[in-house]
Amino acid sequence: MAEDLVLDTAIRDWVLIPLSVVMVLIGILRYFVSKLMRSSQVPDPKIVKEGQVIVRARNLRAAANFIPPKSFRSRRVYFSNEENGLLFVPKGQAQNAQAQMFSDPNMAMDMMKKNLSMIIPQTLTFAWVNFFFSGFVAAKIPFPLTQRFRSMLQNGIDLSTVDVSYVSSRSWYFLNLFGLRGLFSLILGEENATDDTQRMMQMSGFGFDPSKQCATCYCAATIFCASDFCAAWVPDSYRNFSQCFSQDHQSLGAEKDGLDIVQHEWALPKFEHRAEAVLRKLTM
Amino acid sequence: MVSKTEETQLNRLENQVDNGGGGAWEYLCLVRKLKVRRSEKVLKHGLSILNDPKKRSALGPEEWTLYEQVAIAAMDCQCLDVAKDCIKVLMKKFPESKRVGRLNGMLLEAKGSWAEAEKAYSSLLEDSPLDQVIHKRRISMAKAQGNISEAIELLNKYLEIFMADHEAWRELAELHVSLQMYKQAAFCYEELILSQPTVPLYHLAYADVLYTLGGLENLQTAQKYYASTIDLTGGKNTRALFGICLCTSAIAQVSKGRNKEDKESPELQSLAATALEKDYKQRAADKLDLLTRALRSLKN
Repeated sequence: MAEDLVLDTAIRDWVLIPLSVVMVLIGILRYFVSKLMRSSQVPDPKIVKEGQVIVRARNLRAAANFIPPKSFRSRRVYFSNEENGLLFVPKGQAQNAQAQMFSDPNMAMDMMKKNLSMIIPQTLTFAWVNFFFSGFVAAKIPFPLTQRFRSMLQNGIDLSTVDVSYVSSRSWYFLNLFGLRGLFSLILGEENATDDTQRMMQMSGFGFDPSKQCATCYCAATIFCASDFCAAWVPDSYRNFSQCFSQDHQSLGAEKDGLDIVQHEWALPKFEHRAEAVLRKLTM
Repeated sequence: MVSKTEETQLNRLENQVDNGGGGAWEYLCLVRKLKVRRSEKVLKHGLSILNDPKKRSALGPEEWTLYEQVAIAAMDCQCLDVAKDCIKVLMKKFPESKRVGRLNGMLLEAKGSWAEAEKAYSSLLEDSPLDQVIHKRRISMAKAQGNISEAIELLNKYLEIFMADHEAWRELAELHVSLQMYKQAAFCYEELILSQPTVPLYHLAYADVLYTLGGLENLQTAQKYYASTIDLTGGKNTRALFGICLCTSAIAQVSKGRNKEDKESPELQSLAATALEKDYKQRAADKLDLLTRALRSLKN
């Protein structure tokens, strides 16, 4: 039944705006707290060296046709020969990366701190929203929705005849949660710790889109995050680790394979002809 | 490397500041961003800002970066007391800072007390063994003392870890050339070409080194690289044009007794000679005579 409910402007003044303001303030607070708590990481020399090796090998692959064949071949051997090639990783070590992540106590502490700094404010805010702002219609979504969304969006409202477009304040909370990311990157600059959505995506593995996340969050946000936190140890946050680890052993192997495949075709003789053409045009 | 637009902007700002118009702070920021070495101007304008307490407080937190910049410029111009004052101010503000420790080391270097500077740098390196700037300062210290072989050794060790640093490869190549170790220099230039294949400077330098090494194969390769330089610069690089002429005549000399192999681009030399003559006619017409005589002697 599509009847138009008139929503009191007091709802806007006392629910929607305060909720957004509170979330922005909490986000800023978290940003500064995380900045204070961040321990400076001493980069591991082996990791740095590996990163640089990868860059050098990549350059070699990209510009291989610009150097004489002999030099290319000698460099390729230097990188990928069996005994002491830079890119050569014996099979046993290749799986080390993950195990190393857990055994390094600093890294573990860092991860836990970052995760906690995200979970606790989220949990508290969600509980606060539930306690104070439940049981009434907060807003109307401008487009029509099917009945399936009723359980998700109208959690506090116990009337089954109200149009699904009328949602509770919980959905406003989640809208803000995902939507304020852009605002934060504007105010706080890039690399801010409030990038929850990204971290949540990474925590559950790549390619997990936020909309599905949204639905599960609705059911039991805290429980979800808690279980996610445990599950997150294994396929973990690539972005966090990419700051510590420039590459793991698997990409060394990938570079080596790429290098082995490259066929060297010296481009310089072509340049001679092109130079001729250029000069001819110049002296005409 | 500085692009053309940035260079023109820098020159414009420099003129503006020199002639009394404002904009000293923008000029200093641009110099810092482009990492250009204009120490006298930086010193003059930087000091004018720092000595004026109103302008200094207008900078806010950037004041300390300016102190650092002026300190380095002062050391470059051998105004060591100015540098010492700046560093003292910085030390008061940031007592335990590695950056200030580095400045102290540089001051010791500028004074010439190599051993103390070395000690300062080693202690800084113990705390942070992966600080690239301190490694580079040690290398430049060795180079300044004239100890090129030690500089090469240190630079090699640095490159073992940071092998993607193309500036370091360039420095190593020049060090090798200064010691006439051309094969190693050729290797370094190859690294540079690999990391930045479209920069004609490296092709040219590589071709020079190959030409100096001599031998038929190297000469042919050198000719190819001179040709690529010409292609990359649109024929405007005089050195590459000369290089082509010299290479062709050198190849002709070396392969005098052997079978004449088919030259891949027989016209290249004549074209290069023509281009050279045209260029000289435009820019240095009085030297055209010398050029034609030199080219003729090459052809024989």
